[in-house]
Amino acid sequence: MAMASLAFAPPKHDKLRALGIMALNGMFDEMDGVAVLRQAVADLLPGDIAIVSSFGADSSVLLHMVAEVDRALPVYFLETGKHFAETLAYVETLKAHLGLSNIRWLRPDPKDIARFDPRGDLWETDPDSCCHIRKTEPLDAELTGYGGWITGRKRYQTSERGVLPHFELTSDDRIKVNPLAYFSDTDVNAYKVAHGLPEHPLFAKGYKSIGCAPCTTIVAEGEDPRAGRWRGLNKKECGIHFDFNGAIAKPVATVEKNLFRDGAFIADPFRAWSEGDDLASVRYTHIPLKLFLENRDAVLGNPHPNGLLVSPGDRIEDAAADLGRFASIAVSFPGFNDGRGYSTARLIAERYRYQGELRAVGDVLMDQVPLMRRCGITAFVVTHAATRKALESGHLTTVNLFYQPVGVTEVPVGTRPFLRRAAEAETV
Amino acid sequence: MYRYDEFDAAFVRERTAQFSDQVNRRLAGEINEDQFRPLRLMNGLYLQLHAYMLRIAVPYGTLASRQLRMLAHIARKYDRGYGHFTTRQNIQFNWPKLRDIPEILADLASVEMHAIQTSGNCIRNITTDQFAGAAADEIVDPRPVAEILRQWSSLHPEFSYLPRKFKIAMSGGPHDRAAIRFHDIGLQAKVDDRGIVGWEVWVGGGLGRTPMIAKRINEYVPNEHLLAYLESILRVYNRYGRRDNKYKARIKILVHETGIDKIRDEVAEEFRAIANGVLTLPQAEVDRIGAYFAAPEFERVNATVDVAKERIAEPAYGEWLDRNLHPHRQPGYASVTISLKPIGGAPGDATAEQMEAVADLAERYSFDELRVTHEQNLVLPHVRVSDLREVYDALVEARLATGNAGLITDMITCPGMDFCALATARSIPIAQEISRKFSAPERQKEIGDLKIKISGCINACGHHHVGHIGILGLEKKGVENYQITIGGNATEDASVGDTLGHGFAAEEVPDAIERLIDTYIARRETPDEPFIAAFKRLGEAPFKEALYGNG
Repeated sequence: MAMASLAFAPPKHDKLRALGIMALNGMFDEMDGVAVLRQAVADLLPGDIAIVSSFGADSSVLLHMVAEVDRALPVYFLETGKHFAETLAYVETLKAHLGLSNIRWLRPDPKDIARFDPRGDLWETDPDSCCHIRKTEPLDAELTGYGGWITGRKRYQTSERGVLPHFELTSDDRIKVNPLAYFSDTDVNAYKVAHGLPEHPLFAKGYKSIGCAPCTTIVAEGEDPRAGRWRGLNKKECGIHFDFNGAIAKPVATVEKNLFRDGAFIADPFRAWSEGDDLASVRYTHIPLKLFLENRDAVLGNPHPNGLLVSPGDRIEDAAADLGRFASIAVSFPGFNDGRGYSTARLIAERYRYQGELRAVGDVLMDQVPLMRRCGITAFVVTHAATRKALESGHLTTVNLFYQPVGVTEVPVGTRPFLRRAAEAETV
Repeated sequence: MYRYDEFDAAFVRERTAQFSDQVNRRLAGEINEDQFRPLRLMNGLYLQLHAYMLRIAVPYGTLASRQLRMLAHIARKYDRGYGHFTTRQNIQFNWPKLRDIPEILADLASVEMHAIQTSGNCIRNITTDQFAGAAADEIVDPRPVAEILRQWSSLHPEFSYLPRKFKIAMSGGPHDRAAIRFHDIGLQAKVDDRGIVGWEVWVGGGLGRTPMIAKRINEYVPNEHLLAYLESILRVYNRYGRRDNKYKARIKILVHETGIDKIRDEVAEEFRAIANGVLTLPQAEVDRIGAYFAAPEFERVNATVDVAKERIAEPAYGEWLDRNLHPHRQPGYASVTISLKPIGGAPGDATAEQMEAVADLAERYSFDELRVTHEQNLVLPHVRVSDLREVYDALVEARLATGNAGLITDMITCPGMDFCALATARSIPIAQEISRKFSAPERQKEIGDLKIKISGCINACGHHHVGHIGILGLEKKGVENYQITIGGNATEDASVGDTLGHGFAAEEVPDAIERLIDTYIARRETPDEPFIAAFKRLGEAPFKEALYGNG
């Protein structure tokens, strides 16, 4: 499960404008890049938008769309001085093929080069700074003149881009347009074929994402197309994509307080079982059910507080008589769509009337938390940031009316009248 | 029919608000497609070949006029002016925009409708006989209990992430028009020796890649224990159904691999633990819900219609009377099937205008009520015999008067490769070609009762396994190839059709069907012997020869 939602920092700009942009994202079929582009160029920001193209392996698709909408749209190319000769030739090829009439070459400030990269090897020692002086600086100077810009970014390219929408509002209140957001590798190639677009000369040689020559390597079959960029360095995006939208955020979740109980996140006193632990002496550890059954005496002889881990496929019946010996029972949801834990939880809570902490571990997401609660789960180990936020703020959108009575703690208030009556009769 | 009380209305309102929030989070990019998928599916929203597809529940196939008018409105405002009725008695819209979904759901909620659990690995819309509450041969109207099951299964917290989807069908009488033996659970009304109505419970039926006829798990479960018994089945399935392979995850595989006897024991053990608890259904509640489905105030009339005479005067009307009426329990009334299978049309499609025309007819002639059939037609359940002519004339006007119910051109057809992302071949164009080939009314009449069912892939949404003649579209080396099966039957004489040999190219299919038909007509004992009976008597050989010669 991705932490990708965090890439969207809380908006600081005008809320109405933000909502307008959000609404735009629902207006176009996911694959209709031309319509997105036309909306941006003709309607949203006429005369006030430009495109930056790397003239790389996939650039022809977006440029073809640009040519369809407006051949005179400013197309910026960052001549970093580090490009492959093939890329420079390809700029001319596409220009002629598509009839683009407004390609503008941007070069780094010679003073910056002289000062920071006199030997031309900055890419090796500090690639971030190299990108900065060669791409971010020249582009920033130019782009401040526009209300928005068009990018060729695609969701599939890197995991951080998994939630890329068609339209984004940047932190400085400009609009970034991503017509190809939903295009897959296959879509891009199909588009190239369908429109007879000339290939980048290096594409056939195995380059799938082409940037400056020193920082681009060949991508192996099946590898992430951008894996060839900055290979071996912990760097995924160049500065020009990095500086908007509050940057690529790190997970907010802290490791210390990830147990949600009684309305707040607290430090978890328990730890997971790990290989090599001693059943007779571990403390505050969730012991897997299977191990417990095989070593029942040793575990029951352990004087410390411990928990039990119940995984899908486990028969909780087999440990029913001993549940009261555990301070916590963890029901594992290895994937949010594996619903076995709901049955397990109901059996533990309702049939065996377990009174201790019943927690959900694994893929615990906000949309399933209300169901888990109804099945008797009282605590949640949460790593998914949006879920964490929702729990902290108490804002879980859910349905609070129940047709069916479930759970012992859930007096079926809100259930159908006949079920409420029946439940009252039973408890009397 | 059932009317929402405040509780139901508030429930759907909250659910709509919840899903609107999820849609907005998706549009804002706060949740990714993987996280959104199960949420949208549980609200009936699929991502299809061209666009989103919204599937709206028509609980147990019953609609009021105002509901059908709202569906027409949605078709016109948010879609391309038509909707598609499905084999699950639901309706699908093929072209809505994601951003419009919250508004569509709010519109639906205003007429007590929703899209909850029309997809996803949860308990789906409960289907019944389209003539429920009207049929002359019925023991009990299954819809009150179906409504109670709808409520019990709505957002059930334990059963929202089952191994796979779960479908329940109910039949209120011995003649099974709801294909209950091909559902995960089938319920057949049955009277015990004290005269009390309960349910025979069948489990583990299904079509798809692995067609299976359901096994009987319980001969008789009275209403009061039905919820607890079904919850026991679902719990056993949720815990032990396979999750390692989505093609083996339906309960039919669990029943098949574990054996019905062991499953029966496990369900019985679970039932012992929860029986007589909160799920015990009081008769008062069955009666309370039942009151919503009370028979309308029928007039005491005894009109009849002389079909033979009408046919002489106007053959098309006579044909329609002959084919599209079903016997009503009330003398002087009939149930009218409105065929959505015009010659050469897309089976199950209705335009907004047609929906409105049908809504008007239901309001005027059928106590405001209408039905969706699992064979993708509509039904006016309670029409006075003396009104039939007016109804027919109005249907002619709306281009809905095809008199082919149950005939060769009344085919079940999945959307196929024209819409569906899973399909491997086209199905609608095949149905259209067959429909054109057999368009002549005399020819259809000569053939008589015959069910052709067409699926565009092995998932079998077009029920080809249970077609008297089934057609399965596959893809072989980039070319569509159609397998033909014979002998399937979805009724109480349930059987799965057999393939007799190699498949056919798309353009060869109509001729192949014609050879089967010619063989049947040549070999039947009397003109009254239906295709399926003749097939049973004759066996495969003559039909195999018709398809492949005797080489």
